[in-house]
Amino acid sequence: MSVAMSETLTNNEYTDDLRYEVFNREFMPHIDSMYNFAFRLTMDEDDANDLVQDTYLKAFRFISSFEQGTNAKAWLFRILKNSFINDYRKKSKEPSKVDYQEVETTYNSEEASDTTYTVDLRADAVQELIGDEVANALNALPVDFRTVIILCDIEGFTYEEMAKILDIPIGTVRSRLHRARNLLKEKLKSYASSMGYDA
Amino acid sequence: MNASSNTPSVTEEVQQKPMKQNCEHHADCMKIIQAILDDEATDAEKDHFRDNMDKCIPCIESYRLEKCIKDSLQLKVEKKPCPQNILNTILSKINS
Repeated sequence: MSVAMSETLTNNEYTDDLRYEVFNREFMPHIDSMYNFAFRLTMDEDDANDLVQDTYLKAFRFISSFEQGTNAKAWLFRILKNSFINDYRKKSKEPSKVDYQEVETTYNSEEASDTTYTVDLRADAVQELIGDEVANALNALPVDFRTVIILCDIEGFTYEEMAKILDIPIGTVRSRLHRARNLLKEKLKSYASSMGYDA
Repeated sequence: MNASSNTPSVTEEVQQKPMKQNCEHHADCMKIIQAILDDEATDAEKDHFRDNMDKCIPCIESYRLEKCIKDSLQLKVEKKPCPQNILNTILSKINS
């Protein structure tokens, strides 16, 4: 292994050894997060397997465009999300038939523009829910809303990282997240009510 | 501080300030609350939060709820390990 392989190298100076080195050191540690993201996007184990494999093989092939020292996890998530949109979205088994565009339009419209929109849900009711119930509520959201919640609340990306992963402005990240959380609260409320908790 | 003349105890002073039962700008407060919990708040938002959040019941409840949901997503939702065979396939393909 080359001694000189460190942060001083710029992106085009990848030797073969360095490609493997960077792949193992920077990319492989994120494979569990990637797998979970893939599964929550596709809602299907086989598709998730394929999506993770495709993403990692693409990442290896295009490793020279990964700039060392930058956020590898965000870079990988962006590839995975693009692969999902291009290759899997059409055939993915969406639990909700609601078209995302339609939902976004509804929530963007004047009367729903966040003014007094609150979901009446108690924190104690949420506390009673088990992980599977929270996951089911999340999975019931349209995929684009699901995605921002996964990226922010489960994976802990910053708004700026999310903007890069999703190719949208930060303002859109904020507002989409806000709407996604309102939708999630509605789902959680119906779960909590159906479980007999005082929501 | 308007200390009461007869019993200037700390607790009584706090109790004298009535808590807000309704929040007239709750939508804006929700944005601040979420920004705070996401660690994305601006300095102005942090100041506003610090100065006001203990005075408004709807905002206190919303903060609790938002935090509880965020914590549930982080801590309760199951994270599966990537199946070993996927790992093996990836490694064998890049090494071939």
